[in-house]
Amino acid sequence: MTSKTELFSDLMRELEADIGSRDLTDLVLQSLIDAIRGFKGSKFNNFCKQYSEFAEMVTNTEPKFGIFRYYFGYLEKEITGEVCSISKNKKWKKLAINRIEEVRKFARKQKRKLIKNSDEVDVEGKTILIHDHSHTVQDVLVHFRGQGKKFKVVIAEQDYEKTHDNIERLHNAGISFTVVPAYMLSHIHDNIDMVFFGALTLKDTMHFVMNPGALSIITEFQLEGVPIFMFMGTDKFSLWKSKKRSEIFIHKHTRKHIHKPIEYERIKYSHDRVPVKLFKKIITNEGVLTPARLKKVFNEKFKNLK
Amino acid sequence: MLEYITLGIFVVAFIFIVIERFDKSLTALLGALMMVIFRILTPEEAIHAIEFETILLLMAMMILVNIASKSGIFEWLNVKIAAFTKGNPLAIFLLFSVLTAVFSAFLDNVTTVILIVPLTIELVKGMGRDPKPYIFAEIIFSNIGGGLTLIGDPPNIIIGGATGFNFVDFIANLWIPILFVSILAMLVFLILNWRRIKPISDKLVDLTIANVIIRKVKMKFVKKTIHKDFVIKVILALLVTIVGFLLQGYLQLPNYVIAFTAAIVLAILTSKKTSIHEAFSSVEWTTLLFFAGLFVMVAGIEKTGVLEELSHMVVNSTSDIFILALIVLWVSGFVSMILDNIPFVTVMIPVIAGIQASFGDVDVSILWWALSLGACLGGNGTLIGASANVISADLAKKNGVNITFLNYMKFSLPLTIGILAVCSAYLYFVTL
Repeated sequence: MTSKTELFSDLMRELEADIGSRDLTDLVLQSLIDAIRGFKGSKFNNFCKQYSEFAEMVTNTEPKFGIFRYYFGYLEKEITGEVCSISKNKKWKKLAINRIEEVRKFARKQKRKLIKNSDEVDVEGKTILIHDHSHTVQDVLVHFRGQGKKFKVVIAEQDYEKTHDNIERLHNAGISFTVVPAYMLSHIHDNIDMVFFGALTLKDTMHFVMNPGALSIITEFQLEGVPIFMFMGTDKFSLWKSKKRSEIFIHKHTRKHIHKPIEYERIKYSHDRVPVKLFKKIITNEGVLTPARLKKVFNEKFKNLK
Repeated sequence: MLEYITLGIFVVAFIFIVIERFDKSLTALLGALMMVIFRILTPEEAIHAIEFETILLLMAMMILVNIASKSGIFEWLNVKIAAFTKGNPLAIFLLFSVLTAVFSAFLDNVTTVILIVPLTIELVKGMGRDPKPYIFAEIIFSNIGGGLTLIGDPPNIIIGGATGFNFVDFIANLWIPILFVSILAMLVFLILNWRRIKPISDKLVDLTIANVIIRKVKMKFVKKTIHKDFVIKVILALLVTIVGFLLQGYLQLPNYVIAFTAAIVLAILTSKKTSIHEAFSSVEWTTLLFFAGLFVMVAGIEKTGVLEELSHMVVNSTSDIFILALIVLWVSGFVSMILDNIPFVTVMIPVIAGIQASFGDVDVSILWWALSLGACLGGNGTLIGASANVISADLAKKNGVNITFLNYMKFSLPLTIGILAVCSAYLYFVTL
């Protein structure tokens, strides 16, 4: 990996943890539009060559983001194909920006489809547990609320920022919620009717890559027979042969005891890998799928890509 | 005998202030108490020696800046400027340097660098560039900007308090050297760091990464709640303060009355969103007590006649005002590079007042401006020359950028000598 790709990867990991991969994709697309507007390369060919370098960087981050590969891979064909084949066209910037805007529009459409498909989940009068700060899950809950459905949410408390992101979004949407520390969920098993999760991607090993802490909550509620739903678009699939746990990053740092002069090493993990089979249904833009059906859809896409 | 005791107390206190064995305020206060205990000053004389105008002005500005910061206006301005640069390193460099100078002219330098340095590091480091030249520029411009106004830097507040020069006097007498010094510093930075700050508008990858970072910064800011009415009240209060300072001659009111009025009215108007207890807690009492202690110690020294003798010595050595101004400028410049400029300026106040008295009706006010320029700009010379320098290095370290003493001095010392040379040229033309 070049240092620029490393730098970009670090930035993407940081932002993904903060806003999720779907919003991150849109942020990078918008930044690309800003960059094209400000680009003052002397020759048009410079732009085409540099776009290829950009596409190479964005699709080879560490870890690779399925959603990046999906949208930027598509965009590369458009830019290096259509836009760069008409080098004499003075409106190339406008053309390139239009293509990016179309991709953004398409991505939004995919998300809308997913949200619409979530209507198949009956939440009326139910209590839903959420844990990660998946913006897709948040959007789905806001959608339900907009439809006048009555339900309650329990937020499993985790990292301060993520929990507060959930609190802020639900509060703004007028959804009633309570917060319970993630390690105390065993006391409310009977109160939870369903559990909602989002994910970063789906690997070819049929594991979702999810927020850390997700696996323990999922197994805990699986054991109790509470249905667990995943909300994830098929545009996030990792359509390549995965390396073993390559997407999990380990952050080690030294901490000090709050009162005593004791230093210790603290380890944090970036993601959890969760088997698809633990979910009752997976709500995607292509419909509501069972784990078995999801595997078929994934394999078909993988085969087509090859 | 009493003279020796006085000098002894002062020298020991000064050494402890320099080496910072204890908090500076404790040393200054103990020194002040010794002056009273040893009957060098009566308690009444000690109280009388404290320049309350200076202390009250500092206190009012601290309260005003604290409430203003709570509104998020400074972060908002930072983010707007970051967005305006569109990720162009040259634009980031130029705009943030100018912003630092402007902020420093009206806020204290430490607050300024706390607001600007972390954002600069986030933008520049995130783009894979070395943030050091940017941080160095911000340090230098915080001291340059602070040197322009009465409220920009503590030495100017002390000089203003002692001489009665108002806000307009400072700008009218210092804008020319500050302008030329700024141009010199900017040119030196651009020439030496051109490779690191040149525009990237022909590099699509760099430009995209830069725009991602700007969006990230904007996103962080959007998360914070900004109340428009609060921001408007803060802008109005700051404007009223500056206009009040500018019209001080007509208003016939001391600076601290203007600043205190703005701070208290703003506190009342924003009382639902700010806590006055918090605003008063933000006042750096140790700094104010340090000032008070110093004023008393210097009054003790003054009473012995040592400073008067020093003034006579200086006047007897030359009657050329330009040479005198040069001595004041360069001595204060070099002293400020290594020592805290506040005690130095406090000691110099009676010395220059003595020189002024020796000249009778001849206008030697240029000596005050030489003192201000030397004390404010000399602080640029080393990493310990001014509080803003030390704080910037700390902020850089916290963000993974290591700035060493030599690292900084290799660049800053020759530049500061150049800056003092520009000021010397200005003094020459003024005294012609």
